[in-house]
Amino acid sequence: MLLPDYYEFCCRVKIVAGHDALEKIPELLTERGAKRPLIITDKGVASAGLIDIVSAALKDRLFADLIADNVPPDSDLRVVNQLAKLYQENDCDAIIAVGGGSVMDTAKGVNIVVSENAADLMAFSGVGALKRPLKPLIAVPTTAGTGSEVTQVAVIKDHEKHLKMAFGSYFLLPDISVLDSRMTMTMPPLITAMTGMDALSHAVEAYYCLQKNPLSDAHSLAAVRMIYHYLPIVAENPSDRNARLSMAVGACLAGIAFSNSMVGLVHNLGHATGSVCGVPHGICMAIMLPYGLEYNMHKREEAIAGLLLPMTGEAVYRETPPAQRADKVVSLIRQLNADLNTITGGRHARFFQEVKDREGKPLVPREVLPEIARAALSDGASIYNPEDTDYEDNLMVLEAAWEGIPLDRNKIKRG
Amino acid sequence: MNPVPVFAFTCPVKTNSGNKALEHLPVELAGLNACRPLIITSAKAVGRKAIRTLQNAFGDSGMTLGLFDGVTKTADLGLIEHLKNICLGKKYDAIIALGGYDIVDAAKVLNLAVSLKMADAHKLSPQTPVLRHLSPLVVVPTAAASGLETSKFAHFSRRIYSSEYLAPNLVVIDPRLTRAADGKTIAATGLAALGRAVESHISADANPFRDAYSFAAIRFVKENLPAAVNKPADRKASLAILNAASMSGCAASEANSARLHKLGQVFYDMQHIPTGVIMGMCLPHVLGDYLQEGVNDLAALLLPLVGDDEFSRTPAAKRADAALAVLGRFLADLYGALGKDLPRNLREAGVPGYIMEDILDVLGKDNEGPYLRTVVERIAG
Amino acid sequence: MSIVKDIPSAKKPFKRAYVGIFLWFTGRAIQAAAKVDKEVKKEFDNLPDDFTFSLGCLPNGPSMVIGKRNGAVKYLGGNPGQHKVHVRLAIKSVDAAFLILSFQESTALATTRNRLITDGEVPYALAVIRILDIVEVYLLPKIIAGLAVKRYPKQWSAGRKLGGRIGIYTRTILGI
Repeated sequence: MLLPDYYEFCCRVKIVAGHDALEKIPELLTERGAKRPLIITDKGVASAGLIDIVSAALKDRLFADLIADNVPPDSDLRVVNQLAKLYQENDCDAIIAVGGGSVMDTAKGVNIVVSENAADLMAFSGVGALKRPLKPLIAVPTTAGTGSEVTQVAVIKDHEKHLKMAFGSYFLLPDISVLDSRMTMTMPPLITAMTGMDALSHAVEAYYCLQKNPLSDAHSLAAVRMIYHYLPIVAENPSDRNARLSMAVGACLAGIAFSNSMVGLVHNLGHATGSVCGVPHGICMAIMLPYGLEYNMHKREEAIAGLLLPMTGEAVYRETPPAQRADKVVSLIRQLNADLNTITGGRHARFFQEVKDREGKPLVPREVLPEIARAALSDGASIYNPEDTDYEDNLMVLEAAWEGIPLDRNKIKRG
Repeated sequence: MNPVPVFAFTCPVKTNSGNKALEHLPVELAGLNACRPLIITSAKAVGRKAIRTLQNAFGDSGMTLGLFDGVTKTADLGLIEHLKNICLGKKYDAIIALGGYDIVDAAKVLNLAVSLKMADAHKLSPQTPVLRHLSPLVVVPTAAASGLETSKFAHFSRRIYSSEYLAPNLVVIDPRLTRAADGKTIAATGLAALGRAVESHISADANPFRDAYSFAAIRFVKENLPAAVNKPADRKASLAILNAASMSGCAASEANSARLHKLGQVFYDMQHIPTGVIMGMCLPHVLGDYLQEGVNDLAALLLPLVGDDEFSRTPAAKRADAALAVLGRFLADLYGALGKDLPRNLREAGVPGYIMEDILDVLGKDNEGPYLRTVVERIAG
Repeated sequence: MSIVKDIPSAKKPFKRAYVGIFLWFTGRAIQAAAKVDKEVKKEFDNLPDDFTFSLGCLPNGPSMVIGKRNGAVKYLGGNPGQHKVHVRLAIKSVDAAFLILSFQESTALATTRNRLITDGEVPYALAVIRILDIVEVYLLPKIIAGLAVKRYPKQWSAGRKLGGRIGIYTRTILGI
């Protein structure tokens, strides 16, 4: 196991996981001296009946008028301020965030406002502006993918001023993340597949990116083992609660790994494709993942080969000659995409050509690839990718990912 | 790795490890809203040079540091009361513990007294409720570490304080401070890390989050302890061992089974024998017993100990035995390399016969007392 | 006498001076590279008109400021306080800055080792890092620059390397 010349690692979040983990929340609140939590969520989560489960678990800690389900799909400063007011007027003393990325971001924003009595959230944006612990925040993720229950960043948009505020601080880590199998049980196979591939891309990229370290590595390996094994199972049997819990745990491990080791090319090009074409994030991750591995292979072959054992177990590992192990990892991930494609009746896209909107119209026309390649130059994930990337590199990778053919490794520029 | 019904894990400690790690301290403290740290250490235990290295890291920061360098093994709440008054009077806003063992325990208890603004620190007890974050506490370990530095425990004045808020916010592992004066010091640190990590890794209540820490700790000790022992000046090897010690404390904070820990601790408390020395003696016996009892998953040790290739070649049914065999050879090599410097039993460690009664008495009060006493008998020599 | 001693932190005049001189040198080299190298010029052209960035070390170490003023890229001295800075690159300590500026650690490596704090809009920050990488290739012999950047640009023509290097060194020293 590699010990870098210098590294930092931090995940202060208390993880509580299980089939009945939500029932622990009252006790966890008491441990932190909190009595009146504000529940922050969105309409989708509420209408799926998930808030009813959380409410039942909260028992006497539930205050029906302290459930706010108006978080929009895109975090909004107005909503943050409105929820902060609700918190303050009702003497709340903790926040429970139930949902995906936007709910988590909103809850973190509200927490900054109520903890720092901030009239202007902007004053706390950037890195390192927060200097002390905030109010207790309990995160309850409802997808097994984003890992935002263990990340230290938040993005809040000011739609009136057209500003995007980014916050980064270890104090933004939730105090507690509660992983409960019931929260993901109703996720349909397609969403399960794409969020699961998002989690796998976190675990895999964290294992080869430049900021990797022994602790992020250990989290990555455990995450890869669980996600690779359980993702096809949950996609096929959505109500397998052990597999659901394993996916939630795997995604959380992956979240811890990547928030410390960071991510590279897969996220870099994936973010750009998402913003240019509106392709869901998980789809972009699923399609790009084999290419990120191929592009960085000449610099990270040993690390990539190290993923084979956690993915396949001993038998396949033994049968694969050492020189072919890294390639085997890539082909297995391609195969996983193909399997998910079959399980979802062809709806899980394997390459960009296959990505279509509800009307069946292609979402990523080939002509926009240059625009995506350019947009990727403005995305921060490139810093942590082992090999350098420029416009031509991006375009070459995107072309291959569009067609669904393996990358011609002879064409990758080397220093 | 199927998760058990409901489990919890937390590691409140941030790790900064490696070249010039100390020099990041001013920025780290500023990020915790602190600008006037008090260094708690023992000049006798860590040496003047280590203290100077830490002070120099603050060069150019403009900060003024407080320094108390007189922690002893007999430190008590009287000292804590005295230091607490100085801290509150001089408005120190963070504590940096330089060193291991008692130094860190004293710093944790002092942090408790200062953060809770106790009118009288003598009233502190393990029952004192702690419901919120304490002031920033940074641990800077030197070569001699018990592994518990990063844990939520403080063994102070014969009492055990336990709260997740007691754990340090940050551990700074710097290669300038982790090189040991001799092989036996780093061997003891490595064995303590190994013992704690192994016990956490095989325990019936293990979970994947905790396993990440114990896995990395076991792998690091296995890969680096021989080099660190044979060449105490080897920067990278000793840095890896102190990393392992730090990780083992994070895992041990949350583990229930702790036979090795209890045995190591009692001999440290009564005879000041480094925890790892006793853990090394007990390891084969305790693990052998765990194997017999069949509750703990000893097979889980093989992968971190030997790596992918050898693990894959070993049939599942033979993994537990193989892991014990690997550990046995590992220990034998270590004892071989250090000769008389690393005692193999209590007689070689010079534990006087008259003290054994007291030790067995203390162990007798534990709920696993009768068992622990059988281990002591087996390592008597 | 109290059992607690108060110790003021020492000064590090040598490292401060070294870092200060190197920041000054790098600042002037960026100004020169913006005139000599097409790629650097293009990066600056894509940035806003009053674009300004600083590179310095915490908590109160030396800094340098570069800005676009009336279309030209200028080294604006060592005091970021006087300027509205779009991107702030801050190295965590003067010792870490010494590691970077004595080429023991590359900019990319320093970033991944959490030694460099980047504040500002990400696209701008990335442009600054690309500019720094190109300037490093010009200023350093290949054997050192090869370590300092992820991928040493071997596709550059000999003319670009040699001509650019002479041009940038001359202009840096003369300050034009």
